[in-house]
Amino acid sequence: MNESLALTEDQRDCLQEVVNVAMGQAGDSLARFLEVFIHLSVPRIRLVSKDQLGVELEALVGGDGISVSGVSQGFFHVEDGKGIRGEAIVVFADTSFKELADLLAYDEGELNNETEKELLLDVTNVLNGACLNGIGEQIETELAYSPPSIIAQHVPIKELLAHEKLSWDHALLVEISYTLEDRSFNCTMFLLMPGESIIVVKAALDKLLEDL
Amino acid sequence: MAIPLLICDDSAMARKQVKRSLPEGWDVDVTMATNGKEGLEAIREGKGEMVFLDLTMPELDGYGVLDAVKTEGLKAIIIVISADIQPEARDRVQKLGALEFIKKPIDGKKLSDVLNKYGLL
Repeated sequence: MNESLALTEDQRDCLQEVVNVAMGQAGDSLARFLEVFIHLSVPRIRLVSKDQLGVELEALVGGDGISVSGVSQGFFHVEDGKGIRGEAIVVFADTSFKELADLLAYDEGELNNETEKELLLDVTNVLNGACLNGIGEQIETELAYSPPSIIAQHVPIKELLAHEKLSWDHALLVEISYTLEDRSFNCTMFLLMPGESIIVVKAALDKLLEDL
Repeated sequence: MAIPLLICDDSAMARKQVKRSLPEGWDVDVTMATNGKEGLEAIREGKGEMVFLDLTMPELDGYGVLDAVKTEGLKAIIIVISADIQPEARDRVQKLGALEFIKKPIDGKKLSDVLNKYGLL
């Protein structure tokens, strides 16, 4: 493990709080979109290596061999492309679709691969927009993002990113979980920021910490 | 006499942000708690006549603290400071006895306004 990529305790705490605030904004957007109350939990942060990514995702989402669908959206610093960049990935357990369709007033008969894609993209847009704006505001960096694209549907979580071309060895993985009360809907958002981006993130966190 | 003030948040940064936002010259005796369980313990010990309480925390969350304070009839004026800005979160904490809700990241001016509004300064 590259030592310079590891976050200090202060940096980890600071990032967790920045993500916490952004998660609150994203949770509020999702709550308004679905007209429900969203239960938020403490975000989790890990430094992961490429070969361990699948295992880490599985451990964080929970449930052995759970089948999921995932949507990914790249994000990057607007100005020069040298700043923060990464992927925002939203993962839905397959068991969540019926609830989701129900909440968004789709009939059960309407639920097929295409409508599922629509649902995935809609929820991803709602969550990622609010969350990335929330993070950007706090670290005073305007983050732009590419349109969301479906990574895979109905695959074991471990294999979700197995076919993606990952151009990094280590990445910072942030897990944010959104759960609906009294319903079986749960989706998890992962922010994945590769090697050189971690250095930029660490500098941004240091600046926030200095201002304390 | 200094008011026993408890700042309860799992984030060290958030606790510092709150402490830094306290009105100048406010005579308080500050205790810090890093989760709801510690926070509740401190309130039981009389260290939290005023409490600034986060919601999303490990061990015991802010709702749990509010609930316990209510059930046990503990005397504490609780202001929730949270990133959970869903209107329903605000309703719920007020039903559980919180005096006010302030959204994160905390703004010192907003905190002073709230304290003034209730004559707590």
